[in-house]
Order: sequence, then structure tokens, then C-alpha cells
Amino acid sequence: MEHESLAGRIFRGVALTLILVFFMFPIAWILLMSFQTNEQILRIPPRLLFEPTLANYEALISGQLHTAAGNLEITFMRNLWNSLVLSSGAVALALLLGVPAAYAFARFKFRLGETIAFTLLSFRFAPPLLVLLPLSLYYQELGLNDTYFGIVWVYQLIALPLILWIVRGYFEDISPDIEHAYRLAGHSWREAFTRIAVPLAGPGIAAAGLLSFIFCWNNFVFALILASADKQPVTVGALAFVTASGIQYGQIAAAIVLSVTPTLLLALYAQRYLVEGLSLGAVKG
Amino acid sequence: MAGLEIKSVTKVFGAVRTADSLSLVVEPGEIVAVFGPSGGGKTVLLRMIAGMFEPDEGDILVGGRSIVGALPERRGIGMAFQNFALFPHMTARDNIASGLRAKGRADAASRVQAISRLLKIEHVLGHMPRELSNGQKQRTALARALIGNPDVLLLDDPLRNVDAKLRYEMRLELPSLLRRGTAAVLYVTQDYREAMAIADRIAVLVGGRLEQIASPDEIYLSPASVAVARLFGDPSINLAETTPLVEHGTLFAAISGARMPLGMADTLPADRPYWLGVRPEDLGISFSAGEDAMPARVLAITPMHEKAVLLLRFEDGKEWLAALRPDALNVVADDAVFVRFAQEAVQLFDRETGLRVSLSHRRQAA
Amino acid sequence: MSMLQLLQANALVGRKARPRGRALPYLLSLPALLVCVAIIVPFVAAAVYSLQRYRLNLPYLRGFIGIQNYVDFLTDPAFWNTLRISLVYTALTVVIELLLGLGIALLLRRPTRFHNAVSIVLLLPLMTAPAIAALMWKLMTNPGFGILSYLVGLFGLTDFKWASDPSTALFTVVLVDVWVYTPFIMILLLAGLRSLPRQPFEAAALDGVPATFVFFRITLPMLAPYIITASLFRLLDSIQQFDIIYAMTQGGPGDRLMVFQVQAYLEFFQYTNVGRSAALLMILWVITNILSNIFIKNWLRLRARAHSQA
Repeated sequence: MEHESLAGRIFRGVALTLILVFFMFPIAWILLMSFQTNEQILRIPPRLLFEPTLANYEALISGQLHTAAGNLEITFMRNLWNSLVLSSGAVALALLLGVPAAYAFARFKFRLGETIAFTLLSFRFAPPLLVLLPLSLYYQELGLNDTYFGIVWVYQLIALPLILWIVRGYFEDISPDIEHAYRLAGHSWREAFTRIAVPLAGPGIAAAGLLSFIFCWNNFVFALILASADKQPVTVGALAFVTASGIQYGQIAAAIVLSVTPTLLLALYAQRYLVEGLSLGAVKG
Repeated sequence: MAGLEIKSVTKVFGAVRTADSLSLVVEPGEIVAVFGPSGGGKTVLLRMIAGMFEPDEGDILVGGRSIVGALPERRGIGMAFQNFALFPHMTARDNIASGLRAKGRADAASRVQAISRLLKIEHVLGHMPRELSNGQKQRTALARALIGNPDVLLLDDPLRNVDAKLRYEMRLELPSLLRRGTAAVLYVTQDYREAMAIADRIAVLVGGRLEQIASPDEIYLSPASVAVARLFGDPSINLAETTPLVEHGTLFAAISGARMPLGMADTLPADRPYWLGVRPEDLGISFSAGEDAMPARVLAITPMHEKAVLLLRFEDGKEWLAALRPDALNVVADDAVFVRFAQEAVQLFDRETGLRVSLSHRRQAA
Repeated sequence: MSMLQLLQANALVGRKARPRGRALPYLLSLPALLVCVAIIVPFVAAAVYSLQRYRLNLPYLRGFIGIQNYVDFLTDPAFWNTLRISLVYTALTVVIELLLGLGIALLLRRPTRFHNAVSIVLLLPLMTAPAIAALMWKLMTNPGFGILSYLVGLFGLTDFKWASDPSTALFTVVLVDVWVYTPFIMILLLAGLRSLPRQPFEAAALDGVPATFVFFRITLPMLAPYIITASLFRLLDSIQQFDIIYAMTQGGPGDRLMVFQVQAYLEFFQYTNVGRSAALLMILWVITNILSNIFIKNWLRLRARAHSQA
């Protein structure tokens, strides 16, 4: 393996280049598009060199769109804000609910705990519409569709299994004797939990939190079905954008860039934990 | 008033009685070693005292007050763990001081200084546990357990994970360290030598039952059962099955082609099967035959510690070990020899119950 | 937390505290239990709806009809189309992603700086919201100005309609799925490859064992648990794919991409037929439940292995 033939090295180089092009090109191209005017985009053949414009971003941020058909209000920044509120809210709630539960599942072997842990895990793989469609019948009546809490609550379906299973693994890796020692030194159960178990599982809690945030942010179908227009995140908002008449392509591209940038940055930041998060804690990176 | 009192404590896990009606009293200032094979229930016993499990039956008292059901942090117990269990995110100093701080002691700093000087870890107080050697970790863990002057001190095989040299040093150091206060000390170990070196008394725990609680000498010289006899001594005690015969008012055991005198016939019922035990160092080897000598062949000679260990095979195929001083040794492998032992060296155990049977001439336990 | 404080306070008084001490784990997991209930209640509701004649526009006709919704599927070409498309989509995406992901993982196997950087960059598509990814590809495949339409035009395919043409729609959404999810397989298998013990490979290299033999007899069998877990993971997600297909074509053109969840969504919101939509989802649930039971077994095995290494 160390001594590769020349043909092998050429093959490896070509293969890696093709792979990088295939996976990176769409992101790069959309990024370029977001700095182009409609005329530049529609030009054939397309050019790599062009005079960049920030007009698309300006229009999105100001919320005012000037089109041939007249002025159009766009709520994209509102969608972006909603995404932020919904995802952070969902992660905060999931951590609040999930970390103590993960601790209980790791430290006490009890049947109800296993049942909960596995129910949440198996519903992670059940069709989400199975839960969402019946909920949609009542969400509107209850007024939950127009509250952040209503959406944050259903996002637990995404965030909770992730946090529960990753953090549980971290708690299981801490020797119980360390907590026993802390208690014998005169501390209560709650102090041992907050000052020993939680700090030691800290990296796992942070990783699970970041990943849940990414998955909540990227979610589409939950809000599509349950959220009122006022509470929709970027994923749903961006799609509505495309179908709205008179939208310029550069603005769609700019909207895409704005909606993926936060998760891509977070992913780069948290990449050390991605493997573990993606496998729900089954594979360590 | 007793420091620690364990009263008929029983704990069952599934179908296994991990602790079977254990009773034990440890006086303040006394060190009792809990010794036994792994899986014998030693750790479970410590954990019941520390409050990680509760006993199914029985009671545990500290200073005369029951602590069953009390929270671990309210039991007044210090504990050192086999794997040290240091708090990985705190310095050695904070590890040691954690208990004092919880109680809001103002003199924490000076007491940490004092105990770490005693344990020779002053220079590493600012280090994180991962920066400490195993020996330093062990001393930090001990300091943490000792600093609060607990009524009861539990040590769970504290020398298990340190190297041989350090283990030797600590064996010498520990008894005086542990006797500084008035704690009742329970010291779990799997090493009988450690138990004998450190403890005032040894409690032998086998299969969830306390086989014997006695001083180290007594346990070695008069083990209560064949199980205890087997656990103490390295190489371990030689055993032979025998049904003694009575001749002219004296008891003899016919083993491996010899008639070994045991003592007065009226001291124990004859015509019953017994285990006859002789420690390897009590065997004598010579080239002179006799009625009271077991003919044997030397199969192998191995040095062990400061002794030479001989593997002997008797005519009936049974194999025993003898431990001799090397300078007293004038045999080589394959020699035909004769093996003798003194009446006083014999230990007899009932074949059915495994319990020791005393003989009238036995010398008094020291 | 006031319940907890109460618990603690009671626990201090000693012996009597123990029964309450035992309640602690239950108390801690109570919120998670609530979430479980919040999932199970609508799930049971869906199961009940699937046995009803239940149309939102005709509320007075609502009533139990047993398994009639399911029986209707047997003779319904739309259902068989949905089942077929879902299975074809799943098979295509999982097979392509597995082969491609395994290939990339093998290429990046040696943990050099460059390889690590590539593997991190390749994760970006996976971290893009699938619905947004579909939009990106929609922009790139626009017949008017899409760069991909232009590029295939250079090869003579001037009238390539991508997702809007029934004959290439499946290809297009599979392409997007491959773009998004191949990195998932890649990253799991890469972690698996790098965690394999080295001795068998070193021994094989010393003995001059041919590379193909090493790959099929050593690498693949040792990697099998990772391959199985990653594939099942993808299988479960793929058969339920909604975001990419809905964002790209809403199941069209015609009924060309009517996979389970898209069909169920349209049954519900367009045709307001709750009963039929629920029955469709129950069938999908049965399929995924069987798969996820197999998955969880494999997953637990991997998880135990990861923790014993720690």
C-alpha cells in the first residue's frame, strides 16, 4: 500500500478529482450564481468571469423585491429567523429533557428506560408523516401550528433520539465509581450529576447538541405540514420562493446560500463528532 | 462503641447470594482485611457499606447508628477505589479537597497540605489526574479518602493497579497511615500477603460467606476450614484424603506408603474421612527411609521467592510441593527421597464439612 | 425541578427514603416518556384512521370500514405504482451510494492530512438540507439557463429535460439523492476501515497475498458490520424519501415519482382522503419496522464494539 505504482497514483488522483468536482461543483456554482444578475445567469454560454453583484442579498435582506410586475414583499429573513428560533429552541428543550434521561438510562438499568430509549429509536425510522398527518388535524384547532413551541415540540422527534443515544454512550463510558467517590465526599446526587457526570460527558453533549441543531435546521417536512406561514423555516420558505412568480434566479441562489451557510459552518466546526452523530453513537470517529 | 458493625447482611443478585448473612465488627482504629477469591462478594460488601447498594436483609451500623437507607454522602465514610476513581477534570488538590469543601471547611488548604506531605504528593498537587503516575494517583485517592477523618474507611484493593515495587513500599507505609485516626478500616484485597502485612484481623470471604475472622497468625496456623487453608500460603497447602487408624491409642494416617502419627486417639473420632493438610515449608526431605516417611521422587526444582520449591511424586501418583531453603537443599531432580513432617504441622479438616478438627497436641496459636 | 428537591429532602431522613430513591430514574425519564406518548398517540390515531372511511371534505360519511382501504389497494394501479417506484428508487440509491461510498472510503483510507481534508469537505452535501439540495439541482438543471443542461448540450443532448421529462425524472432525483447521501456511507465506512486491526493486512502484505484476495477475503468481511449498518440506515431513509422528490417535482411528472410519503401527502392534502393516506403510511410503516428491527440489532452490535474500544 505504501509503494504505489505510477498507474495506481494516476488513477487515484483522477478519481479523487472527479469525486471532488461532483460533490463540490453544485455548492460552488450556486455560490457564484448568487452574485450574478438575472442577465448574467441567462447568458449562454455561461461565464466563470463576471462582475459580482450584491443586489440579490440586498433584496433578500431588505425584504423588498423589485420585479417587472411591481414590488414584492419577501419574508425570507423571517424564515431565517424562524429556523434559528425553532432549531435552537428544539435543541435546548431536547438537551433539557434528554440529558437527564440519558443519564438515567446509562446509570440505572430499568425496563421503562429501555422501552423509552428503543421506542424513540425505532420512531426515528418510522415514516414521519404517520405522526405528522394526524397531528395536523388537531394542530390548527389547538393553535399550536402558529406557535414556536408547537413546532419545537415535534422537532423532539428528530433531536431527542440523537441526544439520548449519543449522550447515553458518553455517560456509560464514565466509571460510576467516580460519581460514588464524589458522593462519599459529601455531595448530593444532583451535585454529582451536574459537577461530575455532565462536565465529563461535555464533549458528547456539545456534539449531540450541534448535530441536532443541524438536523432540525435541515428538516423540511415537519414544518411543511404543521407550521403556519408565519412560523415556517428556511427549508419551506426557500421552496415557496421558487414557485412565487417573478422571482429572479440569482435571488433563489442567494436564498439557498443563506440557508445552508449556518449548517455547513457548524458541520465544519463539529466535524470531529459527525461520524458518531450520524450513526447515532454506534461508530466513533 | 464499635466503629463499624455489620449484622447478618444478605444481598442476593438474581439467584446468587453475593452476601450470605455476613456479620463483622470493626473497632475504631482497627484494620480488618477482607480477603478472598474474586467473585467472593468483597466488593459488594464494601458497596453496601458505602451506600451504592442496599442489603436485602440485615443492618449496618456506624458508631452504633444504622446507616442502611441513608444517602452515601451522609454516611461518614471515606473510600479509596481500585481504579482510583479520581475526578479527571480536577487537579489533585481539588480532588483531595472535594470532601472538605462540600462540608464548608475553612481549613481545607492547610489540611490538604498536611495530608499530601504525609503521602509525599505535595509536588503534584497542581497536576491533573492524567498527568500523574499510577502511584501518585493511588496516593491522591488515599489522601482524598483519609482527609475527612471518616468514621469508616473503605479501601477497595487499593494496591491492585500499582507496580510491584510501589506495592511493597505501600504495604510498609499503609498500616501506620491508616492507624493515624480512629477510623474503622475495611481493606479489601485478593493478595493474602497484603492482608497479613496490613491488617489486625482478616475476614475471609468465600462464596458470599465469611469463613473465618481472626488475626493473620491464627488464620495461617489454624485455618477454620480447608477453603481458608488453601487460600493462605504460596505454594498452597498440601492436602491428602485420609481415614485415620487407631493403633495402641495413637492415631495414624496411612498416606502414600507411610504411616504418619497424628496424635492421641481420643481427640477425634476415627473411621471418618478427613483432609490432612501440611504446608510445603513444613515438609522435610531426606534420603533415609522409615515407617514415618513417604517415599517420593523429585520431579522438578524451581526457585520461588527466597525458597526452592520441589515437586514431589509419591508412589501412589499423588503430587505434593515442598518449599525448602536453597542452602539446605542437597537433592537434584529425579532423586528418590523420603518425605517427613512433624505431628504439629498437620492440620485436619472434616472431609464432609471442610471444617478444621483440632488435635490435642496442637501448639497454641501465637 | 421542585419534585426533585422534594425527593432529595425526603431522601435525607434515611431508611424511608429508599423507595423514593428508586423512583429517581423514572422521574428523570418522565419528560422523555411524554415525548414518546406524544409520538404514539398520533401513531395510534393513524392506525385507526386507516380502518375508517375518512374524508375531510365529506365528514358525514366517516365510519369504520375494516380493512377496506387496504383491500382497495390490491386492485389500485396507483398503489402498485407507488410500491414499485419506492422500491426502485430505494434499490437504485442504496446500491449506487454503497458502491460509490465504499470506493471513496477506500481511496481515502490512509489517514493523511489531504485525505482527511477531502473527507471533511465531502461531508458538506450531507449537511445541506435535502430540500435545499433539490433546489440547487433544480437551478442547475433548468432547461433555460441551467449549467448542467448547457453541459449535456455540448455533448449533443440538446433537449435533455431532467426532472420534467418522465423518462429522466427518476434518474435526476436519484442523482440528487446520491449527491446528498453518498458521503454518509463514505464517512461510516471510512471510520470502519480505519478502526480495523492492522495485523491481518500486514500479514497478508508480508505473504504477498494479491490485492483482490485481500479485499474480498479480509477487508470486506471485516467491514461487513459497518456496510450492513450503513446500508440499512440508508435503506430506511430512502424508502421514505420525501424532501428531495417533493421539492424537485412533487411526485411528477404525472405519477412518475409517486413514492410512498409523497403519495400519502397528496392523498391527504389534495384529495383530503385521510383514511387512504393513513393506510398507505401504515403499509410503509410495516416495511420500515421490519427493516429497523434488523437495523437496531446490527447497530447495537456496532455500538457495543465502539464502547469496548473506548
